[in-house]
Amino acid sequence: MATRHGRTWSLMGLIATSYGSRQAMTEAARLASPRGTMPPVSRFLAGVFCVLSVAWSDGAHRAFAQVAPAAAAPAAPTAAAPAAAAPAAAALTVAAPAIDFHRQIRPLLAAKCWGCHGAEERESGLRLDRRSGLLAGGDSGEPANVSGKAADSYLLHLVQGREAGKWMPPDEKDRLTKPEIALLAAWIDQGAPWPLLPGETADSVTKHSGTKHSGTKDSGKPNQPVPGTTSASRPSQDVGDDSSRPTSDHWSFQPVRRAAAPPLANAWGGNGIDAHVGRTLQLRGIAPNPPASRADLIRRIYLDVLGLPPSPDDVERFLADGSPAAVADLIERVLASPHYGERWARHWLDLVRFADTNGFETNRERPNAWPFRDYVIRSLNEDKPYDQFLREQLAGDSLGAPVATGFLVAGPYDVVKSPDINLTQMQRQNELDDMIATTGTAFLGLTLGCARCHNHKFDPIRQSEYYAIQAIFAGVRHGERALPPPPEWKSELDRLQTRAGELRSALLPYVKPGGKRPAVNPRENEERFAPVDAKWVRFTIMAATSAQPCLDEWQIFSGERNVALATAGAKASCSSSLPGFAIHQLEHIHDGRFGNSHSWISNEVGTGWVKIELPAVTRIDRMLWGRDRDGQYVDRLPTRYRIEVAVEENRWRLVASSDDRQPLGNEPLPVAYSFEGVPADKAQAAQSWLEELRAVDAKLTAQRAAEVAYAGVFQPPGPTFRLFRGEPNQPREAVAPNTVAVLGRLAIGETTPEAERRLALADWVGAKQNPLTARVAVNRVWQFHFGQGLVATPSDFGAAGARPSHPELLDWLAAELMDHGWSLKHLHRLILNSATFQQSGRPRPDALAADGGTETWWRFPPRRLEAEAIRDSILAVTGALDRRMHGPGFSGFEVELENVRHYFPKKQYGPADWRRMVYMNKVRLEKESVFGIFDCPDAATSVPRRGRSTTPLQALNLLNSPFVLQQCELLVQRLARECGDDPPRRVARAYALCFGRAPDPEETAEALAFVSEAGWEAFSRALLNSNEFVFIP
Amino acid sequence: MKTLPNAIAGGHLLRRREFLEHTATGLSGIALTALLGQQGLLRGAETGTVSGKQPLRPAIDAARPFAARAAHFPAAAKRVLVVFCSGACSHVDTFDYKPELETRHGQPLPGAERLVTFQGEQGNVTRSPWKFRPRGESGKMISDLVPRLGELADDICFLHSLKGKTNTHGPGENYMSTGFTLDGFPSAGAWVAYALGTENENLPAYVAIPDPRGTPQNSVNNWGPGFLPAAFQGTDFNASLPIRNLDRPAAIAASRDVGTRDYLRRLNDRHLERFPGDSELAARISSYELAARMQLSIPAVRDLSTETAATLAMYGADDTGNPLKAAYARNCLLARRLLEQGVRFIQLFNGAYQTGGEGVSNWDGHKAIEKQYSVHGPVFDQPTAALLRDLKQRGLLKDTLVVWCTEFGRMPTFQKGASGRDHNPEGFTAWLAGAGVKAPFSYGSTDEFGYKAVENVVTVQDFHATILHLLGIDHERLTFYYNGLERRLTDVSGKVVRPVLA
Repeated sequence: MATRHGRTWSLMGLIATSYGSRQAMTEAARLASPRGTMPPVSRFLAGVFCVLSVAWSDGAHRAFAQVAPAAAAPAAPTAAAPAAAAPAAAALTVAAPAIDFHRQIRPLLAAKCWGCHGAEERESGLRLDRRSGLLAGGDSGEPANVSGKAADSYLLHLVQGREAGKWMPPDEKDRLTKPEIALLAAWIDQGAPWPLLPGETADSVTKHSGTKHSGTKDSGKPNQPVPGTTSASRPSQDVGDDSSRPTSDHWSFQPVRRAAAPPLANAWGGNGIDAHVGRTLQLRGIAPNPPASRADLIRRIYLDVLGLPPSPDDVERFLADGSPAAVADLIERVLASPHYGERWARHWLDLVRFADTNGFETNRERPNAWPFRDYVIRSLNEDKPYDQFLREQLAGDSLGAPVATGFLVAGPYDVVKSPDINLTQMQRQNELDDMIATTGTAFLGLTLGCARCHNHKFDPIRQSEYYAIQAIFAGVRHGERALPPPPEWKSELDRLQTRAGELRSALLPYVKPGGKRPAVNPRENEERFAPVDAKWVRFTIMAATSAQPCLDEWQIFSGERNVALATAGAKASCSSSLPGFAIHQLEHIHDGRFGNSHSWISNEVGTGWVKIELPAVTRIDRMLWGRDRDGQYVDRLPTRYRIEVAVEENRWRLVASSDDRQPLGNEPLPVAYSFEGVPADKAQAAQSWLEELRAVDAKLTAQRAAEVAYAGVFQPPGPTFRLFRGEPNQPREAVAPNTVAVLGRLAIGETTPEAERRLALADWVGAKQNPLTARVAVNRVWQFHFGQGLVATPSDFGAAGARPSHPELLDWLAAELMDHGWSLKHLHRLILNSATFQQSGRPRPDALAADGGTETWWRFPPRRLEAEAIRDSILAVTGALDRRMHGPGFSGFEVELENVRHYFPKKQYGPADWRRMVYMNKVRLEKESVFGIFDCPDAATSVPRRGRSTTPLQALNLLNSPFVLQQCELLVQRLARECGDDPPRRVARAYALCFGRAPDPEETAEALAFVSEAGWEAFSRALLNSNEFVFIP
Repeated sequence: MKTLPNAIAGGHLLRRREFLEHTATGLSGIALTALLGQQGLLRGAETGTVSGKQPLRPAIDAARPFAARAAHFPAAAKRVLVVFCSGACSHVDTFDYKPELETRHGQPLPGAERLVTFQGEQGNVTRSPWKFRPRGESGKMISDLVPRLGELADDICFLHSLKGKTNTHGPGENYMSTGFTLDGFPSAGAWVAYALGTENENLPAYVAIPDPRGTPQNSVNNWGPGFLPAAFQGTDFNASLPIRNLDRPAAIAASRDVGTRDYLRRLNDRHLERFPGDSELAARISSYELAARMQLSIPAVRDLSTETAATLAMYGADDTGNPLKAAYARNCLLARRLLEQGVRFIQLFNGAYQTGGEGVSNWDGHKAIEKQYSVHGPVFDQPTAALLRDLKQRGLLKDTLVVWCTEFGRMPTFQKGASGRDHNPEGFTAWLAGAGVKAPFSYGSTDEFGYKAVENVVTVQDFHATILHLLGIDHERLTFYYNGLERRLTDVSGKVVRPVLA
């Protein structure tokens, strides 16, 4: 059936969605007013053949639109009521005869359209057997008809063959004739009246048939509304006219229902989880595994919750604890560890596609992205209520957590801009899509991004709703934002600011006269000065916007003549030159060619000088310099510089500098003061004020710099339009901010300010009545504990996603989460204390045969650790791990600081590299050279669940990389330090550190035999590569 | 004290192999679950795909993720070589002959007088600095920039009507390599490795050979796995740059290295006894054995010393006067050797951003196209032509598909005030040669200026669908479930360009 319309069309048609039909029914019901029930057919007969006689042309329907303006009232019941419509049309012009729907249009639709777009088949989600379907349109998101405006009618475009590849009907011999098209156009221009016949109701025009997808049936019970929380200080989240909201009976859109834990025949397990899991196991006739050994259990809990192995002391203490509460106590200790936040932040950072670089080809650093990473770690360690955690990430600027909006802009950002407007618009759409799609999948398990170009294929999300959500984010831009300082800093900042003000007032009389020149710009800058003689000219750079500064050309003028040119005999020298680049050479500074490809770059970060020796003493008065006259590059721009001339060697005289320029961006430059001609005592006092002012400014600058984060910039949003096929140059109607109607309505509109839009969304996402938020959250937590979720598609709870294996358990956990203040640690406690979690991981043939995928949780499925946990574990057992938390990260690469960044593997490692990997700057797309291949995500999009692949290159990295070999040496040193020259003790210690257990005698013997031949480093290398080391048991 | 039953070096490989074979076959159902179940794949299947066709999932054994797997239908090509000229190689200076550029040289481009493209305003129509001549029996017009490739015109099927979606290099490379302009989607090679595995498990299934000058503009995303399991990403190395961490560290003696692996295997075997039948553990054990075999096979395939002087000369690998050409030629030789060894998918790059964008070391000729291409042409032409010729004479071309492409084309005009061409995704050329491809043949065309594809327009999805088709893969059925969608290389479009099939 999907291929009936050929290739392009087949893409649209798999599963019809009848979303909107409830709305449509209401609409149709209005139309079925008693007055409109049965129009006298005779009224419509007049003039029918006039229509048919109109010569068809491409613009014929437009002509109709012009002659029948009164009929163009949009979708109003009166326009559709023939009694009103016909006289109105007649009064205006005789050329616009009223169309008789039942005689003229209905047979046409039935013959040409209903075969595929009727009650039985609804190709592309479109049905044309009732007026509501015509108005709503199909999967394209485009209304099939704009009532009264045939020129804008998508239906007409399609039957006229104006949409490439979608000429309707698809079969050439079925195509509408020109008169038929004209008739259709006329009917639409008259408001597409659709009078009902006796006995018909709006939705029984043709036989009603079920939709093909159970998840999107429109016959379901109405949902509970999902209002946002309300408070006095915020606009109330009025659900509006809920009766007009569409509904769905898809499982995940229903309210969370807390089912009572079922009674168990046996007494397995202790809590609600075990009751639910146990019942399924009973029904399936599978016995659960016995409990895991104590040694396996502590190792499992540490690796799972902290991503670090237990120390030998931890193990010993636990094994010696005979109390019945030993396991529960252990769980409390582990959950209280700050390493918990580091481990689980990594899961969240995967979900919100966080990275410390922009991605795309330049992939430049975001040096102030890390505060968001720390925000996540801290929030988890504090057990911040999960609803609040989500709210803050959408609207933290309004909720006292400004860093949290780093979420909005954590995704990739294309910084390569162009004068080409099409490119710019598409880039902006992609940025917004990243925000929408990530919010949808990560917070709601809803694939909102699928509705960017057409209505969602599987879920009741209309294309217009996608743009309604886009309108919420429309004012969010990528970038850094200065954050309000923490309250504890406030008084100190106030004091400094006051003092700075006082000093500036006192110094006012000494400000050097003259206004500031424009700030430096990357393209070209002019320096003018009184004519001066020069033999040497020097350009000294004291600061640049980034990296080593660059100049593409420096022109020095004597009158109109550029005397700096090499061809004019000038010679250049410099402090240093970035090595290795033909395009960046000293000679380019005066070769007469412009642009980055003919430029000089110093080899000193932020500084450098270049000097030109003129062939003879020359009188000069003007200079031009730039970083890139082509305007492609804006980095490396000198911001503080001095230009001096000399007639005798080394007797420099300043002729121009950056001191009298406006500051560039946020970089404050001091106002120049002059104490010339001031009495000595006054000058001395002023000088000391100036020094104090500089010190105060430096403190203020430092404080402000510490409070900048890549958390997005907010601007007043312009209007948002639905984009036909998602194409930026095809805007359709304006769309007001809102959310997906089937799940609720937001009480905001086009005039709602930017921040309030996000706040409304945040409140809706974090509302207990939202059926998705808690379910999605508990499923994720379950998945990160067990390696797989109760719903196998953790970021798609829609109709195309998997159904929960244990729906009642999922709801029970969701209710537990919400009833306990959205505490994630409460959820962890439930899971970790369950018998389900504490089972042995050992496979049993009978259970494998019945449930090889462990979907019933008859065992704890062992799994390989993720990249970060492997690396962190290695560092922990060798003793190298630096446990300092928070702050700027460290680099996992050697970075080549080109415009397009290049990331090379590190060759050497030291203590600076030995923090936990969550503090390693996450570089988009580039995988860290040793551990990245263990399925580290590339941070391009949200990753709900990492792959667990096994490859020979992983093996080679763990066997041969300098990083691991160095750690092997450190482990050997540790064994020697702690066990002296006692080989059996060393073996026992190594086993305790790496495996959390003692070796049995045979293992000890084998180890000693191996060590005697191959040495301790080889022994360490084997242990760190072993399955036992990298698997959660 | 008990002694080891086996000496450190050598040992109990056989027993272990038997065991692994048992686990791999006997428990393959579990293995499949382990690798694929991770993204809910198996359940995703219930909902079907956007195309309406049911997904055809490769049966991947976690213990042998690279094992050769059956195609969807009998295939013309067993393996693919993609030659990628990064930086956007100008079609109007190479393979797309436009006499109108001569006739209208110096005049504005009709209908595009105020056109603003990637870098800004356009100047006038400008003829190619290189003369076009008829080549081969077919008389195909090809420019003097690539004369050696011109000699092979009769073996090539040109597609002159490709159309892209972006005029920026990074997204453009993404588009050609992954089918999406954004980052994070699996490359075509990763899809093929996922679908078909490889014929030689001792080598990576998918190899990316970066240019001697460095990586292309979007670097690793050209051969990234996207959301596919990381196992299927391209392994990057070339004739001068070895695989990282492949070699045993110099400080570790060979016997000790082997001994360590044997000891490691004993540790793992013992551990497996506690989890009998766990496929992920077994898979990891076998990955160490595969790694050991790779340590032998990769240096062997990279060792060009066994090539004859005549072969080296044919490729230009001995050209001391042009060391860049010689280095690229060695990469071409490496590509042929990898193909001989059954590597499934190879991307061979010509041009790098790393050592100089804007045409300095890639094909991005914005400002001085004649000068820059005069460097790149000779580097590219002879080695690439020799590679094609060599594949043909060795019979490899019968079942190898060779693809030449670039991220987009260039304008028929020069940029305003410059002597080079700006980006042009509206129409450009790619070509195919070898298995299952009609040649000599030219398909589709751009307008009289080479500005826009006008006849038989080929989208990148069509291009990818055709490549997959030649490998026996239905592009609508090769899917991977990710975040709510059955993802495809060809997204929601793409049709096989049947006229180019032999």
